[in-house]
Amino acid sequence: MAKKITGPQVLTANQLSDGMAVFLSNDNVWLTSIENAQFARSEEEATDLEACALPAIRSNDIVDPYLIEIEETEAGPVPVEFRERRRIAGPSVQVTFNTRPNGQLALAS
Amino acid sequence: MYRYDEFDTTFVRQRVDQFRDQVNRRVSGELTEEQFRPLRLMNGLYLQLHAYMLRVAVPYGTLNAAQMRKLAFIADKYDKGYGHFTTRQNIQYNWPKLPDVPDILDHLADVEMHAIQTSGNCIRNVTADQWSGAAADEVEDPRPYAELMRQWSSLHPEFSFLPRKFKIAVTGAQADRAAIAYHDIGLRLKKNGSDEIGFEVLVGGGMGRTPMIAARIRDWLPKQELLAYLEAIMRVYNLHGRRDNKYKARIKILVHELGAEEFTSQVEEEYTRIDAPRVMPPAQELERIAAYFAPPAFDDLQDDSPKFMQHEEEDAAFAQWVERNVAAHKQRGYAIVNVSLKPVGGVPGDASSDQMRAVADLAEQLSLDEIRVTHEQNLVLPHVRKQDLYRLWQELKKHELADANIGLATDIIACPGLDYCALATARSIPISQDISNRLGDIARQREIGDLKIKISGCINACGHHHAGHIGILGLEKRGQEYYQITLGGSGDERASVGEIIGPGFSSETVTDAVETIVDTYVGLRQNGETFIEAYRRVGPDPFKEAVYAAH
Repeated sequence: MAKKITGPQVLTANQLSDGMAVFLSNDNVWLTSIENAQFARSEEEATDLEACALPAIRSNDIVDPYLIEIEETEAGPVPVEFRERRRIAGPSVQVTFNTRPNGQLALAS
Repeated sequence: MYRYDEFDTTFVRQRVDQFRDQVNRRVSGELTEEQFRPLRLMNGLYLQLHAYMLRVAVPYGTLNAAQMRKLAFIADKYDKGYGHFTTRQNIQYNWPKLPDVPDILDHLADVEMHAIQTSGNCIRNVTADQWSGAAADEVEDPRPYAELMRQWSSLHPEFSFLPRKFKIAVTGAQADRAAIAYHDIGLRLKKNGSDEIGFEVLVGGGMGRTPMIAARIRDWLPKQELLAYLEAIMRVYNLHGRRDNKYKARIKILVHELGAEEFTSQVEEEYTRIDAPRVMPPAQELERIAAYFAPPAFDDLQDDSPKFMQHEEEDAAFAQWVERNVAAHKQRGYAIVNVSLKPVGGVPGDASSDQMRAVADLAEQLSLDEIRVTHEQNLVLPHVRKQDLYRLWQELKKHELADANIGLATDIIACPGLDYCALATARSIPISQDISNRLGDIARQREIGDLKIKISGCINACGHHHAGHIGILGLEKRGQEYYQITLGGSGDERASVGEIIGPGFSSETVTDAVETIVDTYVGLRQNGETFIEAYRRVGPDPFKEAVYAAH
């Protein structure tokens, strides 16, 4: 049954190996950036997009796929939900040790 | 400290081997995620917002130096050089990779640690007063009973699939530093009229979306009957606890719905049916466990140390640290040192691997090899000679661990919130940092006095906001964070649930609101009242008026 959607959707999941958030790209590749994510603009497309997760689930590359609603902006797709925006941005916390100011945690040297 | 016997060692190693096999089968696809999820959760491994999170148990908050060094080693080798100490006295790593987790568990087993009972619908890691075995005001060290409960609950078939998670806290003192009234079961060692020591038993406390203060169902229970009585409580819960609705499945709901009197009556009736001698371990086993918690080899000292008193007189910053961070010890000439993990503007509960190693070294040199983790996300060196306090303070300063703010406005509890947690609805840590920076001037903090600010990033209340004098709950509405403020909560022996004061605040304005509340208190307090004392006298209205007039 087609999903009810209120705006464009992209497909996200977590990588099995490290839990990192990933997004299905236009090339059907799972990337850590949402920038080139594949859109679903109708309920039928949303159903089809969800089905695209199956190969990566079967190959044990990703877990827990789900659709998120995004807004299309000049800077690229931006999730509507605050949670998903944070999930993409990474922790906002300036951890005193081993972190860079842009919110991306740096690997301990 | 408790040392593993052969059974413990074998059990923990077997669990590591089993989990290694489970991870291998998950990676190879032999196990689906649905099959694997309960297995990883039984080993403390969550999938969070950006990565896996491993929650390692620190039983009743007690560690030795070797264990702390191992935690530092794991932080460096498998994570990003830090760990987060939690409100359940555990430590969480925010960035482990799935294939590494069996190795991490193996390293933990080397120092008699694990991640069992840190997740799932089981009896979770038992927490305790962080000053156990050291506090001047305790009637008895509660940790042997905490260890007994750990052993009793770990493999108990009746308790592996409870309706919901189940949390027990224990204290040996009248002053409640373990928030026992906010636990599913809270236990306090106390004396009866004949000077015998037993347990006061509280049941049905909890935070979450339905905060409740536990009901006292036994004023005094003989110590040797503890496990049998707990088993009666668990059986009543297992029988009647709701499994159809996870939001109504905690024992607090059962106690509330049955009423404390009826619940107590059912427990007492069940208790008469339990074969108590079968449940309780033999006396020699109790003695064996208790022996591990025998007081360490204290030096025979005078209570007053001239050296310490001289430093206190000559160094005002040291004296302030002593006043806030040092507590009375039961042993003459010793003191309890609280090590703040709340630098102004820092992340509550986070410690770098360097800081962990520094604390380990200091514990070994100056605290008889003992460290404690507190539910308020600080550390404790429980057995420090007063004559060593100045040296210890100087060493702590070198590692940014000497903030003299225990119990003050910047000693904030904050859950990981939406910076890490998959369940969170808003961020907690940046709010705590902002408040800490705003109120951080030490003279101002001291002027404000005792104040507990607690922040949760969702209704699950891991940041204990219900028990905050000022509680902050982060929620999300129309794509934006907003923060609800509660006042008047307390997690101590006069436990109370905070009351919501009105509409929430944005992330930009919540710190202003907190500051207004604090300033209002300072303006209305009488005769040295603390915040909570003043609040209990005047109620919420003056604070509401000030906050909503100003915003």
